[in-house]
Amino acid sequence: MRGLFRWSRKWWPGLIPLAVLWGLAAWYETVPLEQDLAADTAAALKNDVLDKTRIDVAGRDITFSADAFSEEGRRSALTSVETVPGVRLVNDRTRLVPEAKPYVWTAQRDVVRVTLSGSTPLPAIKARLAEAAKAALNGVEVVDQTSFARGAPQRFDAAVLLLIEQVARLKEGKVTLSDKAVSLSGMARELGGREAIWASLRNLPEGYSVAANDIAAPPYVFQANKDPVGGTLTLGGHVPDNKVHDELVEAAKRKFFGEKVTDNLKASIGAPKGFAEAVTRALGALSRLSTGSLEVADREVKLSGDALYDRAANQIRQGLAKELPEGWKAKAEISVKPAAAPVDASVCQRLFSEVLGEARIRFESGSATISADSAGLLDRLAEIALRCPAAAIEIIGHTDSDGDAAANQALSEARAKAVADYLVRAGLPADRFKTSGQGSSVPVADNDTEEGKAKNRRIDFLVR
Amino acid sequence: MTAFLTFHWGWLVGALLLGLAMGWISVVQHGEGLSKRAVQSIALVVIILIGVAVARVVPGRPGYWLDLGLVLFAAYLIGCAVGSALRDRLVARQMAAGRIPVRTDPPGPPS
Repeated sequence: MRGLFRWSRKWWPGLIPLAVLWGLAAWYETVPLEQDLAADTAAALKNDVLDKTRIDVAGRDITFSADAFSEEGRRSALTSVETVPGVRLVNDRTRLVPEAKPYVWTAQRDVVRVTLSGSTPLPAIKARLAEAAKAALNGVEVVDQTSFARGAPQRFDAAVLLLIEQVARLKEGKVTLSDKAVSLSGMARELGGREAIWASLRNLPEGYSVAANDIAAPPYVFQANKDPVGGTLTLGGHVPDNKVHDELVEAAKRKFFGEKVTDNLKASIGAPKGFAEAVTRALGALSRLSTGSLEVADREVKLSGDALYDRAANQIRQGLAKELPEGWKAKAEISVKPAAAPVDASVCQRLFSEVLGEARIRFESGSATISADSAGLLDRLAEIALRCPAAAIEIIGHTDSDGDAAANQALSEARAKAVADYLVRAGLPADRFKTSGQGSSVPVADNDTEEGKAKNRRIDFLVR
Repeated sequence: MTAFLTFHWGWLVGALLLGLAMGWISVVQHGEGLSKRAVQSIALVVIILIGVAVARVVPGRPGYWLDLGLVLFAAYLIGCAVGSALRDRLVARQMAAGRIPVRTDPPGPPS
């Protein structure tokens, strides 16, 4: 041992090359060592869920900054770094992701893109939601501006996935989830989109609620155009279902006796309440016009065209507003067709016969009340009567053979009278008309068939 | 520490070899070498540096360089000790054989 000490006193000259060796080692090894440690640290953190991870290595010391999603996760990540072989010191710059209160998630849709903003709880959920948005909004750009925050409500991802589906149904608008309350605003892309969104929102996870749903739908449009030149009535737009579709087409066929009905209607949900009734009434008003168009948008009825005579124009204007169901608005722009040239009594008779050959005046069953479906026909008859002001007209009622002869007689008289009254209301002098009833005594067809009976229930016009 | 030693093994071997060579020479080298006081001062400085390194007071790269220096120094010392011991044995054996007259300078008590 003494020898060792004695020799050691002579070891110092080696310190000079040792110092050189030390300098060279430091020069060549510092950067590779740091790179090694950085790579090992990154590998060690592979299974830790972190955000904004940053690893700075100086010598054997690591400055580790990251946002963790839980205290447990933060500690585990720190341990992972500390146990990397070769690490001397770890400067802990980790922190927890901030907590959001209230926890808000928003999707804003405009014409070209969908912007997701607000908070998401975890990277996996953020990626999944962005992916779902891209899939749901096929072709639309999705901009994900969400940032991480703790404090998401239970089943946050399920709720947001459902909301993303609703965003796909919007043309433009905004969907917000604040804690467990959903607010929606904007315009649905398609008719019925609003209803579809409502229906879907019922599937929100338990505890979630709809705070506000201000989704508007595109207007529910129904159109009808009466073209006397082409002799067509064109129906277009939407109807709620096949039943209403059939009813409306049938009503149109009854009301428009001279026109061929072209049916371009499509079934779609989202019709306003009272749609069928309002459209039936509006079609009745249109049938009284010589030429005209009807446009129903949501609960607004817009009728424009030419009435056959002055009083009809007034009756249509006032009548339409009254006839529509509650909550509906009518806008009638009715002008009057220029009066046709006066004609002889014989021409009038021919015109009456032509028109009555095309259609019959309809009454309520067993009564003398004129059916609303016959308003258009009666207006045509009134217009003809106005063209031969000098002619006296006899209106004769007929019935089929069903029932008591006396009752039929009375009914035929009352019906003739009702028609005359209508013409008087149209502005014709009452003294031009004489009414009579013939019961079932003058049939024009066989009373044994329904078809024949229908032909026998008629009103004849006789010009004298 | 294992990782540190593994990473720098080449340099450590270098320091060890340097020590071996120095130890080998020192046994038969003439002259007094450093004074006892100087050796003690160096030892004190080294102990302080070891204390600093263990306490991890020096941050970043300088801290790493200090560790590296001390480890290289340790390897050097081991090398020196082994080298000296081996040479001493060799010399002792040759003296016993009486082939080479050896004079240790300065003459001291037998080790």
